[in-house]
Amino acid sequence: MTDYADQTSSFNATDFEALERSQDVNVISRPSLSYWQDAWIRLKANKRAITSLYIIVFLLLFTIVGPWVWRIDPAIQDLDQISQPPGTDRSALIVESYVAWDGETDVGNGLRVIGDPNSQAVRLAWDALENANGHRLYRNRFPVGEEMAFGIPLAEYFDNNIVTHEDRLDVRPDTYFYSVVALDDRGQVTDNFQTIEVEVERVTTLAEARERGLVDEGSPLQVGDSINLEAHPLGTDYLGRDMLARLMAGARVSLFIGIGAPTLFVLFGVVFGSVAGFMGGRVDQFMMRFADFVVALPFLLFMILFKIAFGIGPGESGVLPMLIALVVLMWPATARLVRGQIIQIREQGYIEASKLLGASTPYLVLRHMLPNTIGVVLVTLTFEIPRVIFVEAFLSFIGMGVAPPTPSWGSMSNEGIRTMLITPHELIFPALIISITVLAFNLLGDGLRDALDARMRNQE
Amino acid sequence: MSDTSSVALDTDQSFSRSAGKQLLIYAGYGFVFIVALFYFLSVAATQVGGAAGGGAINFEENSITIALRQEPPQLDHTRASDAVSFTVLTHTMEGLLGYDNDNQLTPGVAERWEIREDGATFWLRDNALWSDGQPITAHDFVFGWRKVLDPATASIYAFIMYPIENAEAINSGELPPETLGVRAISDSVLEVSFEQPTPYFEKLVAFQTFYPVRQDFFESTNGRYGADADQLLYNGPYVITEWVHSASMRWEKNPNYWNKNNVGLIDTIEVAYITEDVNAKLNLFKDGQIPNTQLVASMLDSAMEQRWNIDRFMEGSIFWVVSNFREERLTNNYNLRRALQLSVDPVEFVYKVLKEPGYMPGTSMFPYWIKGAENLFRQEHPPIEHVPNEELARQHLEMAKQELQLDEFPPLVMLADDSPVGNMTTEYLQAQFSEKLGLEIRIDKQIFKQRLLKANAGDFDILVNGWSPDYDDILTFGDYFASWNLNNRGRYNNSELDRNVRIGQTSLDQNERMAAFAEVQRITYEDAVVIPLYERGWSFVVDPRLKGFKRRVIGPEVDYRFAYIDRNGSSAD
Repeated sequence: MTDYADQTSSFNATDFEALERSQDVNVISRPSLSYWQDAWIRLKANKRAITSLYIIVFLLLFTIVGPWVWRIDPAIQDLDQISQPPGTDRSALIVESYVAWDGETDVGNGLRVIGDPNSQAVRLAWDALENANGHRLYRNRFPVGEEMAFGIPLAEYFDNNIVTHEDRLDVRPDTYFYSVVALDDRGQVTDNFQTIEVEVERVTTLAEARERGLVDEGSPLQVGDSINLEAHPLGTDYLGRDMLARLMAGARVSLFIGIGAPTLFVLFGVVFGSVAGFMGGRVDQFMMRFADFVVALPFLLFMILFKIAFGIGPGESGVLPMLIALVVLMWPATARLVRGQIIQIREQGYIEASKLLGASTPYLVLRHMLPNTIGVVLVTLTFEIPRVIFVEAFLSFIGMGVAPPTPSWGSMSNEGIRTMLITPHELIFPALIISITVLAFNLLGDGLRDALDARMRNQE
Repeated sequence: MSDTSSVALDTDQSFSRSAGKQLLIYAGYGFVFIVALFYFLSVAATQVGGAAGGGAINFEENSITIALRQEPPQLDHTRASDAVSFTVLTHTMEGLLGYDNDNQLTPGVAERWEIREDGATFWLRDNALWSDGQPITAHDFVFGWRKVLDPATASIYAFIMYPIENAEAINSGELPPETLGVRAISDSVLEVSFEQPTPYFEKLVAFQTFYPVRQDFFESTNGRYGADADQLLYNGPYVITEWVHSASMRWEKNPNYWNKNNVGLIDTIEVAYITEDVNAKLNLFKDGQIPNTQLVASMLDSAMEQRWNIDRFMEGSIFWVVSNFREERLTNNYNLRRALQLSVDPVEFVYKVLKEPGYMPGTSMFPYWIKGAENLFRQEHPPIEHVPNEELARQHLEMAKQELQLDEFPPLVMLADDSPVGNMTTEYLQAQFSEKLGLEIRIDKQIFKQRLLKANAGDFDILVNGWSPDYDDILTFGDYFASWNLNNRGRYNNSELDRNVRIGQTSLDQNERMAAFAEVQRITYEDAVVIPLYERGWSFVVDPRLKGFKRRVIGPEVDYRFAYIDRNGSSAD
């Protein structure tokens, strides 16, 4: 006690003067960062995540701005260019409109072409073969050869007087080998045949060119000129519809479901989970068992039930029931996650302190608990988006989604898979865009998780 | 300090070493277990599915392995109505008459027959036996035919027997089955009386519904007749010895068949695959597991590259768009139908969209192969030429709008099969109607059975469907739009058309009949009742070692009855 008094006595007046304001005491060596700024910096350092972010932004532009730039109706059928892969030569010769053939032939010998062979029609005439009891006409893309493989049988005539045929079946600009084969008296193919090689040219008519707006009304285009048919940068599908326009239109459906549904069900999951976690006890038990019950419901079955319950008739879009089925059935994962977080946070010291200071429940939840779960929620959201895009693609693929002619990436894949071997671009483009989208969202989610995880920040 | 740490390190290492060892041992156990499991499973699989893997053609056993499109729902021919059941039945049963390899009518169970204006008589052969060795009698036909018409059987094909006296009344429950105009005069003579003159009756009795059923056997099955291999009594070239539902079947040569030396040349036919997937079947064909397969448009390029001998076959059926004529439907309006008709171009559709070489653009409700009085019907009575006309179509649509007092058409429902070609058809038509007429079309895709139910209930505006011939006479198509025909799903009702169909049914003068059907053809076009889209045909390939295999318009869609194996067959001949 006395020592203490002694010490105090050693103070003099100067000790109580104000210090000079020092410049370098409060300087913080690094800039002060908020939670989000810090996360953003760490995200930026992650190249994969940033690339994915660019891809997603590009996808959004593709979906929203794309149709304004590429003004082609995705439902319009260009029947002159069916199943065209991208980059096909599309120059066409202008010819007269198609006139039905009266069967008039030139004089000549053997199998011969009448008129110009073009993509409108190839007109063939032949002389009755020896000992023939009718003829069968074939078209091949290869010479007949030893195997006597004549190619596609086009027509069969059990009458020796019919010696002409007009081939209009999917005539493409290509080299064809036509063969006419004699039939015996029972209609069986014999080995008596003639063959001819034909070069086919792509043509269109003046009227069609005008109608499609390929040329202006007043242009001096004439028969014999050459023009370019409509451009299809990504080719066309099996009904001659523009793939690029369809991918854009399909993106609208896919991204609407892909972003709309997760946003809704994650929101619901957050509310449900935080209530359960905060209330605890019996309420928590009850709510989480309900969530378990929802997890057990079969998704596909409910999708069909919703479709019926909403009175979605045939030929109407199933997008709305799909959205609702997704929201109703997919929230429990988020709810569980948020509940776990809330229970953890509830026991933290700062919550106790806040309670002692008289904080109300809404204040506790809104100020302390939810902001601390937001990182987890955001990461869940970015992982749910690709999952839902995939579910949408799958449902449209099996025909549960959009109604034709509305495209979606899934339904386009379904259409493309039928002709996978001969026109692979019809499957590859929608499949590729689904894969890229799903991958981009997944990588972004990965990056976000790393960036937002507080524990990982401490490790650095 | 340094000592303890090294001890700790030692124990750590030995720990991790022993843990690693244990893990390795477990992994080894796991690997062995999995290998054993797979081996066991594969052995089990070969034990169970003995049929598979045998290859398409087996010379030693004189057997082949084939694929069927679907499984027959059941094989009671009194109730069968699908092409696959009919195919199996033709291989295992025989009627009074049949068709030979060249599609000519040929004697079957009946040795000879006589068709009169008021009836017919059939003399049965003595050596025709059931597969259990008992002779086939005229009573078996009487029992079978009564069974078909019994309302309790609810046979879809009962109508095909209506030419027989009292048949229609029995089928509608007005008369007991015993009053049917069919009598067994003796065990070997069958007498039929007609309701009306039926010159084509001999063609009818070759149809599967007219096959016999033996009463004592039928009753011994307790209502399971035709449900399984042993619940059927056979009288055709093959008997079914094994039927694993939705998996496989085995047909073996019937030793009791009277004509076994000429029909049924292959001893065993294994139906190892039941699939509708043409791609799967193409792969089976490439692997040499089945001797023949169908080729669709997308496979033709690679088929040409493989240098296969591609064959073609016009299947006989025609696909069309029919309108719904029920009062409450907009399509009851002539101008709307005409507008739809004028905006469809079957030539463009078949040649540019479907691209199937077997298909022919539709021009009439009667397919090209239907026979007329002397020549082909369509040569004798050419159909009206269909010229698509967008301008005119729009004018008709305007008229329809005024008549129906509509500002805007509500969406029309188009009912169709959920199949690859069905989807192409509906989407093409949807785009055509929307581009040319501005009409909104809702596509209602259904699986075949469901589509049939909805079509029967009239739950559509426009229906895309097809019709296959049942027997080789123009009437098989000609009565489709008759007001009394239940297959007329749109309930088209036109007394002039009905009158002409009646003439076609009863007249004995072929020229008069054909003239009547020419009228039917004209009415269905001019009144825009039906828009023919295409006549269906297949492209297919057959293993060159399998000879005599046929596809048929009438009868089975695939016919192996006259097929045989040629050891030296190669693609060169």
